[in-house]
Amino acid sequence: MAVLTKANAIRVASIILTLLVWEYVGRRVNPILFTYPVAIVGAFYELIITGELFGFLLQSLQVLIYGFTAAVVIGILLGVIVGRFAAAEYAIDLQVSALYSTPTVALVPLIVLWLGFKVPAKTFVVFLFCVFPILINTQQGVRAVDRGLLEVARSFCSSERQLWKDLVIPSALPFIVAGIRLAIGRGLVGMVIAEFYTSITGLGYMIVRYANNFETAKLFVPIVVLALLGILLTEAVKHIEARIAPWRRLREEA
Amino acid sequence: MVMKEATAGKMAGAAAADQAAATRGDWGWLTARLISLGIVLGAWEIYGRLFLSPAVFTYPTAIARAFFQLTVSGELAAAAAQSFIVLFIGWLSGILLGIPVGLLMARFRLVERSLDTYVNALYATPTVALVPLIINWFGFTTLARIVIVFLFAVFPVLINTFQGVRNVEPNLIEVARSFCSSESRLWGDVVLPSALPYIVAGLRLAIGRALVGLVVAELFTAIAGFGGIIERSTSAIRYDRMMVPVAILMIVGVGLTEGLRALERWLAPWTARRA
Repeated sequence: MAVLTKANAIRVASIILTLLVWEYVGRRVNPILFTYPVAIVGAFYELIITGELFGFLLQSLQVLIYGFTAAVVIGILLGVIVGRFAAAEYAIDLQVSALYSTPTVALVPLIVLWLGFKVPAKTFVVFLFCVFPILINTQQGVRAVDRGLLEVARSFCSSERQLWKDLVIPSALPFIVAGIRLAIGRGLVGMVIAEFYTSITGLGYMIVRYANNFETAKLFVPIVVLALLGILLTEAVKHIEARIAPWRRLREEA
Repeated sequence: MVMKEATAGKMAGAAAADQAAATRGDWGWLTARLISLGIVLGAWEIYGRLFLSPAVFTYPTAIARAFFQLTVSGELAAAAAQSFIVLFIGWLSGILLGIPVGLLMARFRLVERSLDTYVNALYATPTVALVPLIINWFGFTTLARIVIVFLFAVFPVLINTFQGVRNVEPNLIEVARSFCSSESRLWGDVVLPSALPYIVAGLRLAIGRALVGLVVAELFTAIAGFGGIIERSTSAIRYDRMMVPVAILMIVGVGLTEGLRALERWLAPWTARRA
């Protein structure tokens, strides 16, 4: 893994070229509408010095962590139940797939009216965005357990508990982690939308406020932070995925 | 040979039995689902009528009545026209840009390396974060909503097209090259057919995201389409009206996704069988 490859040279050249063109064009456009890289760096510096950025970032992360954790716990639990008991699947799968294909954003105004403008409402929005991919993937993971292995375990009189611990959970794990990877991206979207609606906290509020004031350079600061957060979280889960189920990656690379 | 035939016969028998079980299961499955749905709707109706003030929430028959009223007044048709035009144009422009750029990135290393950083970064960014910026640029116009839907839709199409072309069996390309296939025939006969299922899967992912983009754009501008009805009804505490576009969006979401899934199965039955 050499860093100084031709491929990376092209990437870096492309980024530098884009930044230069942006800087050149951006300085010639009305600052109400557009901005340029140096101004964004300045805005970054200013928002970090005043502590504003970290304050809002912490509020956002708090909501994200609460909602995401709830979704992981409830999603895995329900997914396992639905995967194990056919009756549970029949009872809820129509509702689950309908809610999964509905643009969840359409429910946000309603949730805000029910739960108010504070942390519980935002947590619930994030939860709703995250829970379905985890639930559905867990269910599929439990379903995809090798039948032959199940039969062997049953033949050797494995108890239900042992069966789960030694066979079902380990083989469902890669599916579950893949669900979590999908969920984290959706969770970020939910967090931003919830903050657009409820206002006065978080990165989403920063975006709305600076957009309304036409402070475009500052507006780009939370956007860049969200982009970095998205890349970071997705890469982190991919890393975990590769450690939990390395054979999947091998298969993909082959 | 004989044993092989016997095994094949047994397997065919097992497959037939599986099929029968699956058909029986399908009916049981459908009934169970409908009963469950009926119970949920019935419980909602009773609870909503008896215990919920209309300021808190509504119940199914009230939503049906609101649906009727909005249809008669023509509000719903007007909103649907606004929403579907934006959805369609945005999605289509996402496809028209996503597929060619995906092909170029897959074919030319220089294009791939110049663009992949941006594509990956923009795909990982929650696109909603850009909505206020786009509205500042384009105003509260139809164009702004189309651009937002486009931004939501383009990346899954682009990335899937790229992956599809990259996953073409290298042996097939080698064989085609060995038989002196021209570049255009190579694409027409080998690359595009094997990338097609990926591309259609990208279109399916894109339509889901396009719907999200549409609703976000409309809620944010609050003057047009289904999102406009949601926003105005919520401010007026008319939940029965608010739930009408929500239900429609739910049905449209399921319908479009399933439609494209069917197209996928039709174009590439082998991927469906594998999954």
